[in-house]
Amino acid sequence: MPEPQDPWSPRRPQQDPLADIRRLWEDIRARLSDGDGAKGRRPSPFVFAAIALVLWAASGIYIVAPDQRGVVLRFGRVVRETGSGPHYHLPWPIERVLRPSVTAIRKEEVGFRTVDVGPPARYRDVPAEALMLTGDENIVKLDFIVQYKVRADATGTADFLFNAREPEQALRAAAEAAMREVVGRNEINQVLTEGKEVVQVEAQRVLQAILDLYDTGIEVVTLKLQDVDPPDQVSDAFKDVISAQQDRERLINEARGYENDVVPRARGQAAQILNEAEGYAAAKVREATGVAQRFVALQLEYAKAKDVTRRRLYLETMEEILPGMNKIVMDDLSAKQAVPYLPLDPFLPRRAEPAPERPAARADGGR
Amino acid sequence: MTRRWLPVLLVLGLAVAAWNLALFTVPVWMQAMVVQLGDPVRDVREPGLYWKIPFIQQVTYFDRRLLDYDASPKEILTRDKQQLVVDNYSRWRIVDPLQFYRTVRDEQGAQSRLDDIVYSNLRETLGRHTLREIVSEQRDALLREVTKRSDTKAREYGIEVVDVRIKRADLPEKNELNVFNRMRTERERQAKKYRAEGDEEARKIRSTADKEVQILMADARQKAEVIRGDGDAQAARIFAEAYGRDPEFYAFVRTLDAYKRTLATNTTAILSPDSDFLGLLRRIEPRGATP
Repeated sequence: MPEPQDPWSPRRPQQDPLADIRRLWEDIRARLSDGDGAKGRRPSPFVFAAIALVLWAASGIYIVAPDQRGVVLRFGRVVRETGSGPHYHLPWPIERVLRPSVTAIRKEEVGFRTVDVGPPARYRDVPAEALMLTGDENIVKLDFIVQYKVRADATGTADFLFNAREPEQALRAAAEAAMREVVGRNEINQVLTEGKEVVQVEAQRVLQAILDLYDTGIEVVTLKLQDVDPPDQVSDAFKDVISAQQDRERLINEARGYENDVVPRARGQAAQILNEAEGYAAAKVREATGVAQRFVALQLEYAKAKDVTRRRLYLETMEEILPGMNKIVMDDLSAKQAVPYLPLDPFLPRRAEPAPERPAARADGGR
Repeated sequence: MTRRWLPVLLVLGLAVAAWNLALFTVPVWMQAMVVQLGDPVRDVREPGLYWKIPFIQQVTYFDRRLLDYDASPKEILTRDKQQLVVDNYSRWRIVDPLQFYRTVRDEQGAQSRLDDIVYSNLRETLGRHTLREIVSEQRDALLREVTKRSDTKAREYGIEVVDVRIKRADLPEKNELNVFNRMRTERERQAKKYRAEGDEEARKIRSTADKEVQILMADARQKAEVIRGDGDAQAARIFAEAYGRDPEFYAFVRTLDAYKRTLATNTTAILSPDSDFLGLLRRIEPRGATP
């Protein structure tokens, strides 16, 4: 009995048929040398041949997994493609089948590598891939991923299999070239800020164009920028620009705060000054009016009896002030002689005011 | 007995022999060349099953797919005398197996030949352009030119150059440092500008506020003085009006008032008996009686 062939790897059994035949031959030889057919129950060689033929034919059965597509080659030429499920091809060496996985979306990382998918995911930078020149001759650090799959149309699978050796490697190199081309057309500020979206879309377009030129059968599903940063060597300076912008806003805000603090206060103070002045003026006028009215009233009475009123006022005043004063009564002559000898001490602590009549005391002024 | 087996074995043996010696398949991703006693006689560019003469003819296979040639990075001098490290790759395929076999023999030979062709074209073409043109403005066109010229040259070797592309074009390390320095100073300039702008704006706002405050206060003081003056004037007018009725009486009353205010306490007065106040004392004395 020949070993059953593995129907799932039809490329392998290069030597198997010959081995089977050899084993068959050994078997036959052994039986022949046994005797002259005395045993009688020798099977016909055609039975063996028939069994071998059936097994050989059966080796053409194959199954295409749901994510695969089968491409059947007859003598090296593509004759048909098959979808998922069990199928049959003519046995080796007439036909053979290739079953690449086509629905899976594959991913290439450029500028970094995932070291550990995590969580937490860990990445490693690849500066040689990530650093690139911008249009204004600056350098930017840029990571991106490309997701791609085998094109789903009629020729996609065959293109993927037969048109380029190592299509993944072609994609990788093309992706780097495409991204650098696009970044080279943009300025660093564009790339770092609002131009990201444009760069992404444009790079995907360029990459797809390159892949189509190579006829790789690859369709770029998405190209996504991951991190876009200034290079590490200058990132501090870039961060400082951001903080400078914030400093500017802060200074302006502080100044506005100062303005908001000082101006209303000043308005209040101004109002206060005005009010005080108005109060002063009003008080002055009222006081003056009062004093004037008092005087007028008194004067009216005075006019009626001038002498009497005058003397009364004088005496009343004397009465009022003299009780509190120290008094020395002496006539003018004695005063002239005595004053120089008067002790000054009593006058010293306080200022001596001139007497109501002739000011005889000369003791004022000194302290 | 042997005779019964003979046909089967014969058919099998012939089939195997034919398969191995007289037939060959060319798969879709390959092409082949038939070599007769060391001399290439024909090429097979389409996939399928083919005959050859056993023993005399040998078959050599070549890849029909697009092949990769990734050159090592090289320094190239641009027209504006900038060093540029160019890492390029080429995509190529064998289009004429016979020619290919005769000139470069195998892929390895082709790679070194391609290296010469592509690099010289690249250096020559890029050398005629500035860094900016290479990196940014004309990259695509330049590479298309290099591809075309390389392709023309490579045809002699049975090779088609499909695409030459610059994977990376970077500055050498020391120039990179210069770029970083420039970038840093550029950013520093920007940062300084932002801070100075903040300072400018803040000073403007603060001084405007201060100015406003000063004007407000001065305004208020001015108005206040005017108001006070008005009040004083009004008061003076009122006084003048009232006192003007009898200036002499005013002086008298006011003097008395002043006495009250100034002489009330701690004052020593030397009073003369001749004074108005004490006048009576003297007058009365001689008569010895009170009035």
